[in-house]
Amino acid sequence: MIGEVRLKELHDFLNGYSKEELLWINGYLSGIVSNGLTNGSANGHETKPATTKKISLAFGTETGNSKKLATQLAAAAKKRGINVKLIGLDQYRLSDLSKEEYFFVVISTQGEGEPPASAKKFYDHIHDNELSLPNLKYSVLALGDSSYPMFCKTGEDVDLQFEKFGAKRVVPLRKCDVDYEVEAMEWFGNVLNVIESQSVENVPVLQQQPVKKATGKKYYRGTVLANINLNDRGSNKATYHVEIGCDETIEYEPGDTIGIVPQNRKDVVKKIFTLTGIDADKVVQTAKQSAPVLELLTQHLNICYLLSSTVKKYAAITQQEIPDIRMDLVDLIRIYPVKDAAQFEEIVKILMPIAPRLYSVSSSPAAHGENEVHITVARIQFLAEDEQRFGLCSEFLGDLPVGSAITFYVHKDKNFKLPAAEEDVIMIGPGTGVAPFRAFLAERDATGATGRNWFFFGEQHFTTDFLYQTEIQNYVQTGVLSKIDLAFSRDQQEKIYVQHRMQQKADELYNWINNGASVYVSGTKDPMSKDVENTLLQIIEEKGKKTNEEAKQYLEQLKKKGRYEKDVY
Amino acid sequence: MSKKNNLSAVEHIKTSSDGLRGTLKESLDEGLTGALYEDDQSLIKFHGLYQQDDRDRREERSAKKLEWLYSFMIRLRLPGGFLTPEQWIGLHHVAGEHSTGTIKITTRQTVQLHGILKSEIKPTIQSFNILNLDSIAACGDVNRNVTCSAHPKESAIHEEVFHYADKISTMALPKTRAYYEIWLDEEKIADKNEEDPLYQDRYLPRKFKVGIAIPPNNDIDVLTNDVGLIAIIDNGELKGFNIAAGGGLSSTHGNPNTYARLATVLGFVNTENVLKAVYEVMTIQRDHGNRSDRKLARLKYTIDKFGVDAFRTELEKRCGFQLEEAKPYIFTDRKDHYGWKQNHEGKWSYSVFIENGRVLDDEKIALKTALLEIAKTGKANFRFTGNQNLILADIVEADKSIVEELLVKFGVIAHTDQAGALRKNAMACVAFNTCPLALAEAQRYLPSLIDKIEPLLKKHSLQNEEIILRMTGCPNGCGRSPAAEIGFVGTAYGQYNLHIGGDRVGERLNTKYKDSLNEEQILSALDELFAVYKAERTEGETFGDFSYRKWVQTT
Repeated sequence: MIGEVRLKELHDFLNGYSKEELLWINGYLSGIVSNGLTNGSANGHETKPATTKKISLAFGTETGNSKKLATQLAAAAKKRGINVKLIGLDQYRLSDLSKEEYFFVVISTQGEGEPPASAKKFYDHIHDNELSLPNLKYSVLALGDSSYPMFCKTGEDVDLQFEKFGAKRVVPLRKCDVDYEVEAMEWFGNVLNVIESQSVENVPVLQQQPVKKATGKKYYRGTVLANINLNDRGSNKATYHVEIGCDETIEYEPGDTIGIVPQNRKDVVKKIFTLTGIDADKVVQTAKQSAPVLELLTQHLNICYLLSSTVKKYAAITQQEIPDIRMDLVDLIRIYPVKDAAQFEEIVKILMPIAPRLYSVSSSPAAHGENEVHITVARIQFLAEDEQRFGLCSEFLGDLPVGSAITFYVHKDKNFKLPAAEEDVIMIGPGTGVAPFRAFLAERDATGATGRNWFFFGEQHFTTDFLYQTEIQNYVQTGVLSKIDLAFSRDQQEKIYVQHRMQQKADELYNWINNGASVYVSGTKDPMSKDVENTLLQIIEEKGKKTNEEAKQYLEQLKKKGRYEKDVY
Repeated sequence: MSKKNNLSAVEHIKTSSDGLRGTLKESLDEGLTGALYEDDQSLIKFHGLYQQDDRDRREERSAKKLEWLYSFMIRLRLPGGFLTPEQWIGLHHVAGEHSTGTIKITTRQTVQLHGILKSEIKPTIQSFNILNLDSIAACGDVNRNVTCSAHPKESAIHEEVFHYADKISTMALPKTRAYYEIWLDEEKIADKNEEDPLYQDRYLPRKFKVGIAIPPNNDIDVLTNDVGLIAIIDNGELKGFNIAAGGGLSSTHGNPNTYARLATVLGFVNTENVLKAVYEVMTIQRDHGNRSDRKLARLKYTIDKFGVDAFRTELEKRCGFQLEEAKPYIFTDRKDHYGWKQNHEGKWSYSVFIENGRVLDDEKIALKTALLEIAKTGKANFRFTGNQNLILADIVEADKSIVEELLVKFGVIAHTDQAGALRKNAMACVAFNTCPLALAEAQRYLPSLIDKIEPLLKKHSLQNEEIILRMTGCPNGCGRSPAAEIGFVGTAYGQYNLHIGGDRVGERLNTKYKDSLNEEQILSALDELFAVYKAERTEGETFGDFSYRKWVQTT
């Protein structure tokens, strides 16, 4: 992943080289990378370009020691240009194990040789199932207390199980007593040496990507891999983190959105059949397709909160007087019934297609693989005409169980994209606005981008609404997230929003922007993005000693340079 | 953690904490997490708080990519466990505003609140301050809450003895102003001399507990303390105290170097010398206690390393006087005397049964509301017992009916009367969901276990036996399970070691009888034991003494 400007430079440079010459350059470059012969990066950071390997460092902790240690190790790896996916075994997706290439475990032993409670799920999984992991390279660091008889038993168990599954142990099991720091660093040093020494053979050869010209929308058929309500019990909100997997490579970048066409609720469709008497299998020809009416009403046609124009057409067909309001089809039929099934067929033909809903992706191909995309969906509730209504798609997604099939397309956003790797980035994204920034951070982490990152996040309550809290904490601890400011609006008497935090940090914020940082705003349009923009202008005015007009010009210039982007809805 | 001079990590944290300040202020400002920075988690104990998390929620929170649900427990410093009714009303409101709402009476005569968010700690402490209450040294490597026999005095001596609790507490307070600066916004005075002759900059190697008993009632379990003072009263005069040292109940499963111990009576000191004696026991512990291995750091191990006689000699040397020979005394019970009692002045008290010390309103009884209403009358003081119960005390004759009316109205009297003997003499530590050390449930489980033991007792016609039964979720023994006639010590979730053979008055510890039993096994074991007890005991022999004679002594 390199920025547009550099990519163009590279293309210009490589134009005209033959395939054999390109292969030679490829090998030459890998040599440079592995021997560290490049100059230091522009910012003077010590990080080298990352290897493209997927290295996972998982920890199983009871008291927090394993986690603290693993975080330190991940940060150390980062300094050596190796990017490590840091994850707690309690949050680890077990189905990923078969796809891992390098898997390192830091785990403590409890009581009578038991795993930590947080790692029990993982521990049971590798003991209760016959796995086959021939492609896995691993090592285990076991923490324990020699004053207990079953010293480091859990670490031993994990090491043994992986061996049984055919995985390759690249560094021997290391058992540590209560004084573990020195030994742990030694073990990890060995781990990093193994990874670095194996990187030369493993760099993939430059492959010719067949250029496919996009003709219309490409629909992907995916499966729901995970669906988690990120808000805790007691929250006023429900925000779903949905992970969708696909056999095909999904072509997208952080900053893009995906479009999902939700399905209508089965119980509602069933009610419509009962009320109208129409046969579910009856094939009806609409403007777009010809299909059984069950399929039409479930997957293709909008039956919720119909447009007034549709309601008018309904009134005309059924020859009834209906007030000029929007209504659900099922309620229309209930209150103003159709004559018979045949008349309902006519109704079907006037229905509009279900509009796709767009969701900013919250994943990065570099971090999460090319066969996966994540989204962050707020369950929508709104008051319309004195009635509590629900967002069709957010309900649909919120209820979608793991394993469900789901179709989506990628809507590319040319502008809401990360800048070059060494550029600084300011991200302002309260609520679900966090989505594209999770993608940005994951991307920058996976690719070893050296630019600094500053995130402003806001929600209602700290304890229940801090979306992706543990991931964000990890990014702070490993240094990916250089600065973070939080605003939980309802945790105190006065409402505090992201713009208040921006004002509190006005000096430094202005400094970053003046020194080349790109600013991104994501989330609700009104009032948030407007308030944020006004705050930006105020800060530019005050700290940049500009007039109101000049500040506006300044912001316009940023926009023109692609350094002020918005993804708001 | 590197061991400088072979000291444990906590030692380094203490000495580099600048008088227990650490980075607490920064920790409070850190908005990324509800937890404190690591070292501050040790330091905040000295301020009377523990960082905890809701263990029931861990898995779900992790799945939601949320950190553990951190909150704080605060424990008040209440020498002898005394609150005015105004203070109780204040406590009631602080609990409702900043914590889970439940007021927990501890096993050492104070109260604690759970579930306080990091951002709420300062307001909570400030609210307590307005009530003249603080939490200084309620936890940490210092002298903890000083306990004192709560029981309504048969003589005027009680008040005099009670004052020693306060004197000892004050004498052993840390000198640092950290608490006042951090929580009460006291200005830090540059160059102020904060020398602490007692604690220096390293405090004690471990917690230190002092208790005062007035025979014949040992409700505070005096011998379970590091220093136990037994009041010696002769001819209506307080002569002084027998001083016992080296009590401490915790042990670690699988570590034979750790063990529960009752304090050894060293001798007698008169009232003039008692404070000095207590002080010097602390200085010996400060200078000689194990600072490398916290599991071996309590005074009991220090004494056993010295040997009792050598310890006594060192104590006398530091005191500058000799201990006299211990004077005779006798303990007849440890229980709370429920119901109405009148003292020598004609004042009344009512001892309320509060299961596991938990004051809240639930579907069975609105205890918290009841106590608030009684406090509002201003007619009774609130005194906590060593058994986690409450005595509404110092009620003048004329006011008795007012208090009684409320006690009846809220069903408190019925609740106290109807509880069975076993339940009224039982105790459990907190364990889940807040204690990070718990291996098994305690206070959340014991009541329902007792529900199942009561029929067994009835079966053997033992339902009126005041057997002392205690449960702890781990071998640290905060619920004093090693000092019970029947003790349950958690080993894993749903499993307990069964201990028997402790005595009724608190002068003999129990012994492990069976390992890691589940509920079914517990009930069947007790059934057997009760049957044999009933059949073979001598007249008036307690279950504890019988078990000791029958099953412990013989092995």
